[in-house]
Amino acid sequence: MPSTLLQPDILARAEALGLAARQVVEGLRVGDHKSPYRGFSVEFVQHREYVPGDDIRHIDWKSYARNDRYALKQYEQETNYVGHLLVDVSNSMRYGDGPQNKLAYAKLLAASLAYLIVHQRDSAAVRTFAADWGAELPAGSQVGHVHAVCRLLQAAQAGDKTAVGPLLERFAERVTRRGLVFLVSDCFTDVPGLLKGLQHLRFRGHEVVLFHVLHRDEEEFPLDGHVRFIDLEGSEQIRARPHLLRPAYLLAVNAYLAELSAGCDRARIGYVKLRTDRPLGPALAEYLIRRRQMGRAK
Amino acid sequence: MSLLAPMMLAGAVAVALPIALHFLYKPRHKPLPWAAMTFLKASLRQTSRRLKFKEYVLLALRCLILLLLALALARPTAGLVAGGRGEGVDAVFLFDTTASMTARDGPGSRLDRAKTAALAVLDNLPPGSTVQAYSCADRTTFLGPVTPGSRDQAREVVKAVGPTATSGDPLAGLSEAVAALDRGLSPTKEVYLFSDLQRSGWQRQAAAVRARAAELKGRATLLLVRCGDPVRVPTNVAVSGMTLPPGVTAVGSRLPVTVLVTNTGPATARGLTVAVEVDGRRTEAEAATVAELAPGETRPITLTAKLDRPGAQVLTATVGPDDLPADNRLDRVLGVRDRVRCLIVDGRPDAADPTRSAGHFLQAALAPVEAVRRREYVVEVGVVPADGFAAGRLADADLVILADVPGDRLRPHAERLAGWVRAGGTLVVGGGANVRPDGYATLDGLLPAKLEPLAVAPLDTPFRIAPESADGFLSQLKDDPFRIVTAGVELTRVNPQQEPTGRTLLRLADGRPFVTSRGVGLGEVVVVGTALDDTGGNWPARAGSFLSVWQFLLADLSARTVLDRNRTAGEPLVYHPPAAPQPFELTRPDGTTKSLGPAAGDPLTVTATDTQLAGVYRVEPDAVRFAVTPDLRDTADLTALTDAEAEQTLGFRPVFVTAGDGPADWAGERGRREWTVWLLLLVFVAGLAEAGWAWACGRAW
Repeated sequence: MPSTLLQPDILARAEALGLAARQVVEGLRVGDHKSPYRGFSVEFVQHREYVPGDDIRHIDWKSYARNDRYALKQYEQETNYVGHLLVDVSNSMRYGDGPQNKLAYAKLLAASLAYLIVHQRDSAAVRTFAADWGAELPAGSQVGHVHAVCRLLQAAQAGDKTAVGPLLERFAERVTRRGLVFLVSDCFTDVPGLLKGLQHLRFRGHEVVLFHVLHRDEEEFPLDGHVRFIDLEGSEQIRARPHLLRPAYLLAVNAYLAELSAGCDRARIGYVKLRTDRPLGPALAEYLIRRRQMGRAK
Repeated sequence: MSLLAPMMLAGAVAVALPIALHFLYKPRHKPLPWAAMTFLKASLRQTSRRLKFKEYVLLALRCLILLLLALALARPTAGLVAGGRGEGVDAVFLFDTTASMTARDGPGSRLDRAKTAALAVLDNLPPGSTVQAYSCADRTTFLGPVTPGSRDQAREVVKAVGPTATSGDPLAGLSEAVAALDRGLSPTKEVYLFSDLQRSGWQRQAAAVRARAAELKGRATLLLVRCGDPVRVPTNVAVSGMTLPPGVTAVGSRLPVTVLVTNTGPATARGLTVAVEVDGRRTEAEAATVAELAPGETRPITLTAKLDRPGAQVLTATVGPDDLPADNRLDRVLGVRDRVRCLIVDGRPDAADPTRSAGHFLQAALAPVEAVRRREYVVEVGVVPADGFAAGRLADADLVILADVPGDRLRPHAERLAGWVRAGGTLVVGGGANVRPDGYATLDGLLPAKLEPLAVAPLDTPFRIAPESADGFLSQLKDDPFRIVTAGVELTRVNPQQEPTGRTLLRLADGRPFVTSRGVGLGEVVVVGTALDDTGGNWPARAGSFLSVWQFLLADLSARTVLDRNRTAGEPLVYHPPAAPQPFELTRPDGTTKSLGPAAGDPLTVTATDTQLAGVYRVEPDAVRFAVTPDLRDTADLTALTDAEAEQTLGFRPVFVTAGDGPADWAGERGRREWTVWLLLLVFVAGLAEAGWAWACGRAW
């Protein structure tokens, strides 16, 4: 039975654009992406002096003729990568109804990314988190792996608070092989802690992309009347007339978004803000196009 | 400020409604699970104080609107209980009818303008109003109307208001107005004072006026209707006095009359005519022309008047023309005598040398003419020794002088003597060695003071008279040359008196009474504390003093018959008729009459108090005439108070209106005093402010 998380219109658009790694990644197989390991593939990189033990098949005889020294030709190795999909399933992700529910949106995004990764013969690993790590699916590149991802995501239930910063640091320590890390979260957590975790991942050589999932209400606060706000991640309740608070709320939100965006820019972390009221297909396509353009420029 | 509908102020309790809603109302809050609590709490922290402040301002504005609305419905008025638009008014009209209101400093007299203004007020009073009109001069008189709600009666009353010759201040009028306010039922009271605001009158009892005005202020609106021209002071010349020669006014004499004419106006008066007439006989009037009279100048004009019959006659002096006729005429009733009969009872006649007896000195003083002319002289003097005195002779005497008569000689006649005095006779008791306190005990009921034993002073330290103590008809002794010659009198024997029950007309230098007097019935008793011959000192020899005293006495005696016939406007007229009680009637100078009723009391007395007009009054049927002169205080200073001075005098600012303003001004003034329209406008403005503020606060209404 096909999963609801794999929507053809989204995948068709994303599939055409592909998801190439923008920096070197460490893979186990020969693939489409640059590997940090020099080998004997197609693209020449440099010469290295022969040492006993080297395969003499790789000696460049033309160079020996010119220099009278044995040298080996080295080529850039192309490999596949592992895309780590870290999905926030904390209680704050429960906000929103129907297709605009943040968790549903995040799951759809994660599933789409997993399909995209696997489809181009890379590996995708999925982890959910809230206050701690939740369900986990190791990297896999088989077509059937996508279905496993979907099953994991569909089974994921929201719970607990968001505390992503320390989790990312632990993750960075554990995953030594460089790859792509996609963090899908509403980031309603301690921003400096989050940025610190992300920077740790960057320090470890990962390419990090933060998909910041927000609901329209959370960004524009278009509420009215007398409202009793019930904290999704706690027991606190606040009675207020939201239209009176709107200017101050918007100031706080914009300051938060600016801080987060600027922090990501400084650490060369991809920051993609996604609003659940916008269909994922065009939003994802837009991101992939932009990513592709930036890859070319590089 | 006062309220026309104070009950409506209870609506102010509605202010509790927004307050209660603000603090007690708990709205239903729609529950919403929310993720971004961090930002919500941050915005709450940032805005809660500001929001609270805005809400309090909003609450204050809403309360203000309700309070203003309640106040507007209570119909507040400016400072006083005042009429609003269309509200029935209890109006009290006070007409200043003092003499100065006759001044013509504009179209018609000031009083004419006051009446025109009052009619305009009447025409503009709202339906259901009442009117009470009073004239206000030296006293306040209710003029009408009998039915306060009758506008037609009120108009007739206003048209009939006439001037008086009195001086006055607004105190009596304001007092009556305060009392009149109690008689009205409308909560809206207005007091209109039509006056020329003459300075001297208003400032006479300034403190009392201020106190009464303060009482009025809390109960009614006071409207001062200025009837005079605030700039132009009218020209005015007054007959300020009329002097006659001292002594007895005899029949047939051509009496020199000095008319004092005073210019109280601000400009020189020109082409004045001064005239004097007797008993209204204009054809015999003697007149003089005064070419110019400077401001403030008083000029004596001497004319003559022929008095051709005995009895009371009216001498009238007139001057004119000017802008204020009220003080252009002065009447005086004169007692014209064909003969004054004096009887001297000499207690110590000197047969050897009659020139040393009291009779001689007194005869010379009372009839200071040559002996051959004494029979024709107006004063007829007879001398009898004390032994020959009989009470029967009193019937032919106007004046009896007892000169050192022993008391025991008088004892048989004491009762008749007392009756004679009460009937109008003048008794003079002279001192001397024969005058002892015990002997005169029978006359104690007549004498002004108890006598003391004879006092003797050495020649080198005689008793002296203190002319500066002179009073009554001897007042002229204070003036030179009488003062000088009287001060030089030396007395060696005096009959001291205790302090009198009557008046002390002259004192000794040591302060003891010397000449005393007392009115008894219609007559008078005078005691002279020394011998009337030369045994007591050199007084009889000092003709300048002795003779003058007796002439003053004769003049007083002569004038006493008409003494009460000359009054100032406002003073009561008192008449003692000789006959039994009968109904009397007063005829006023304007020809109107008033019943006085029968005479009563002992002596018989008839009193007329309605004397506010100047001129000649008659008490009928006795045809007794009284001369009433205008109260010259009212026209002596014709300057008017400014609005600021009037405000200062009253202690608050009344509504100032000038007579001659259009009727619209009266109605407009009443409307301007009510604040309702302005308060409703304020409510509207406050409502706009509330709406604007609520919008600014993000409130929906």
